[in-house]
Amino acid sequence: MSTTIEPAPERHAIGVRMKRKEDPRFIRGRGTYLDDITLNRPTLHLALVHSPYPHAKIVKIDKTAALAAPGVIAVLTGEDLAAHGLAWIPTFHGYDKQMVLAVGKALYQYQEVAGVVATSREAAHDGAELVDVEYEPLPFVVDPFVAKTDEVILRDDRESKTNHIYHWEVGKREETDAALAASEVRIDERLYFQRCHPAPLEPCGALADMDPATGRLTIYLTSQAPHAHRTVVSLVTGIPEDKIHLVSPDIGGGFGNKVPVYAGYVVAAAASVVLGMPVKWVETRTENLTTTGFARDYHMDVQIGATREGRVTALKVTTVADHGAFDAAADPTKYPAGLFGIVTGSYDFPTAFTELDAYFTNKAPGGIAYRCSFRVTEASYAIERGMDILASRLRMDPAELRLKNFVRPDQFPYPSPLGFVYDSGDYHATLRKALDLIGYDALRKEQAEKRARGELMGIGISTFTEAVGAGPSKHFDIMGIKMFDSAEIRVHPTGAAILRAGTKSQGQGHETTWAQIAAEELGLDPQNIIVEEGDTDTAPYGLGTYASRSTPVAGAAIAMASRKIRDKAKKIAAHLLETAEDDLEWSGYKFRVKGMPDNAVTMQEIAFAAYTNPAPGTEPGLEATYYYDPPNLTFPYGAYLAVVDVDRETGEVAVRRFLAIDDCGTVINPMVVEGQIHGGLTEGFAIAFMQEIRYDENGNHLQPNFTEYLVPTSLETPKWETSSTCTPSPHHPIGAKGVGESPNVGSPAAFVNAVMDALAPLGIEHVDMPLTRDKLWRAIATAGG
Amino acid sequence: MNLEYSGTETIPASKDAVWSFITSPAAIASCMPEVQSSTVVDDRTFDAVVGVAVGPVRGKFTFHVVLDPSPDRSRMGMRISGGGLGSVVDLVANADVAESNGVTTLAWKGTAAMRGPVASIGGRVIDAQAKRVIETTFANVKRRVVATAPGG
Repeated sequence: MSTTIEPAPERHAIGVRMKRKEDPRFIRGRGTYLDDITLNRPTLHLALVHSPYPHAKIVKIDKTAALAAPGVIAVLTGEDLAAHGLAWIPTFHGYDKQMVLAVGKALYQYQEVAGVVATSREAAHDGAELVDVEYEPLPFVVDPFVAKTDEVILRDDRESKTNHIYHWEVGKREETDAALAASEVRIDERLYFQRCHPAPLEPCGALADMDPATGRLTIYLTSQAPHAHRTVVSLVTGIPEDKIHLVSPDIGGGFGNKVPVYAGYVVAAAASVVLGMPVKWVETRTENLTTTGFARDYHMDVQIGATREGRVTALKVTTVADHGAFDAAADPTKYPAGLFGIVTGSYDFPTAFTELDAYFTNKAPGGIAYRCSFRVTEASYAIERGMDILASRLRMDPAELRLKNFVRPDQFPYPSPLGFVYDSGDYHATLRKALDLIGYDALRKEQAEKRARGELMGIGISTFTEAVGAGPSKHFDIMGIKMFDSAEIRVHPTGAAILRAGTKSQGQGHETTWAQIAAEELGLDPQNIIVEEGDTDTAPYGLGTYASRSTPVAGAAIAMASRKIRDKAKKIAAHLLETAEDDLEWSGYKFRVKGMPDNAVTMQEIAFAAYTNPAPGTEPGLEATYYYDPPNLTFPYGAYLAVVDVDRETGEVAVRRFLAIDDCGTVINPMVVEGQIHGGLTEGFAIAFMQEIRYDENGNHLQPNFTEYLVPTSLETPKWETSSTCTPSPHHPIGAKGVGESPNVGSPAAFVNAVMDALAPLGIEHVDMPLTRDKLWRAIATAGG
Repeated sequence: MNLEYSGTETIPASKDAVWSFITSPAAIASCMPEVQSSTVVDDRTFDAVVGVAVGPVRGKFTFHVVLDPSPDRSRMGMRISGGGLGSVVDLVANADVAESNGVTTLAWKGTAAMRGPVASIGGRVIDAQAKRVIETTFANVKRRVVATAPGG
């Protein structure tokens, strides 16, 4: 596997390929995940009862048999929760509400209808089987285009009797329509980004522990945003925030799935409060795939206008979004369609317009940011597929078309026609590096030779730009809470330190990279900086980890907190060196007297002095907290190339090569970045070729387990090649942009573009994902191939 | 998912014998495979607890079965509804009943709608199970009718 991201040699911590500090406990099986947590007093267990119908009136719930079952302590229904004001809770951005347990009727298959609390997990599940629910099936709708007709209304709890949730638009409609009408070449293509699911290997869970002696509710939760969840629990229940202690332990993958609040969390907490005993709920695989936050499900009509020479003139994207039964999409309050406005991508469109209409359907609610910054993946797929289709119509090489239309380096900061201001980039250099590294010209020559022999070979390009790092408080909030993030650093007398942040790693490697940032800024050893996240009693308040926001926001807070410490350290250094602060400079990780570089003190010496010999007029100790409000988003980008062979007899795709060149600005740890890219590319590969949540004519969810919803193993996963360019973000303290989600954002289009390039000789221009063998075989057969 | 099945069965017995058997809830209940218990509700209805093992869905399903014979004794209808383990199954079946030369023919057609985990298992597993249930049921009916028919 090629790993060519190089460290920055002049730095001692940032850019170093340091092994992950968290891995020794993970590879020894010593991680502490939610289900590993046991308390020193008897714990009850919760199992949930689910609706088999996509839409049904709940006529009666008979608890009798369940309550008589061995070990069953209680059976809770929506009506029971209603008595405590917990039947409904607000959705992520607060525009809608969602049922905790179904009240009156069930709105999607597998919706939670009741909860059974018992003395063991087995007893709880056995009890759940005995809850007798009488349903009266109702007409249902699982297609947003049918939902548009309003013939079946899902949400009769809402004042407005329509399935239409909202309309959102940005850009210049008339100008774009006029430019499209006047364009010499125009494409208009319906692209469906299928409903898929993050499917973290560890499902969701909660252990709620109401201590009657203290009146304090401790909730261990699979949470990507523990502080936000604590605030939500307080707002919904009325329990003062100081009486809620939320702990997010080690998390076995989140990918956005562990951002929303789920029924099991609320029921476990409510049961613990009522019963005064700990209650644990651990989701099954089926519950995770059928009820928790899905991703995508966008139907996008992409129109691009261009000149015959291949200069783009306008972009218009019209989307129908399927949100399921509640508007529980995970988006910042002012961005109902997330950051879909990034849909102009890396290209300099003179004008653009995009609009979106969202609908309720009898499907599980969600629309979470699955390893992407709020709908950026959908947008990137739309523009990158659109550009390839345009290249096909123009009979132009897709690389040439891109190079002709990229935003130029001298245009940064670049104001996009849809309202973003891109911070930095050199798209031409990154794509040219990718073309050189993969040997693009030789591959095109090979392709021509293969085509002459009737073989199907394709080369796919995706040159995406993301908008990440939500976000500036003037624009970004969730339920009113501004999307800043935070860091607190305490340097101990010996120069070791503890660093706490408002984020929460789910595999990103924060225990390593956060230490590296602080170590770089302070001249300390990253091995002696312990990082803690996820405990609301100790960590500073932050909005958590999702949407590639950790490094752009919390990473910046760490750098700024470190600089506050350095400012104080300078006073101590001046005291130790018996000179004025103005006579000192920070150089080579020491404070040195200007002109006398050997007259210097290290941070370790300063830390010891902070506790033993503090400077006159300064507080003892050496610590700082910083809440960082970013001035702008960051805009990481990349150039991805996929090379595939398609078997025209079977539809089988072999991904021969995949090269990912990422530009995420300053790289904190190249090895961690490569790990992130490998994981995200594997997810992108699965989305492109394997994964889709489908519903049948009876409203059945057809992928409720890993037999039907496929996760690639090492056998299917291609070999990944990675490299990088670096255009630091000018507004981030260390120039970092974030990278964890780039491969999931950028790769689906590269795969699909490659396969469509292979099928071009057959006249096939587009097939929706997932590109399964049978789907491609049918397309090839239909095309006469 | 909806599954549709159809077929023709012949029973070497008179239409009267066959008709008498297939309109009896107790008789039909006794011919269905994996029935763990059954309760005749009235002369056209019975409830049955059936052991189910379809892929990962294993346990007891409870079914309510309604027989719906036509007054002219030419057509037998059956509605089965029920489920378990979070799944729901609704089945509607009809059979045209005719006799020729002492042999009774049942030309039948059935449609099953499934909801819940059992639906996700897909036709590849359910098909085989459904065919086994149908074959076993008809084999039992044939055996029992022939055994109880005059001269059988």
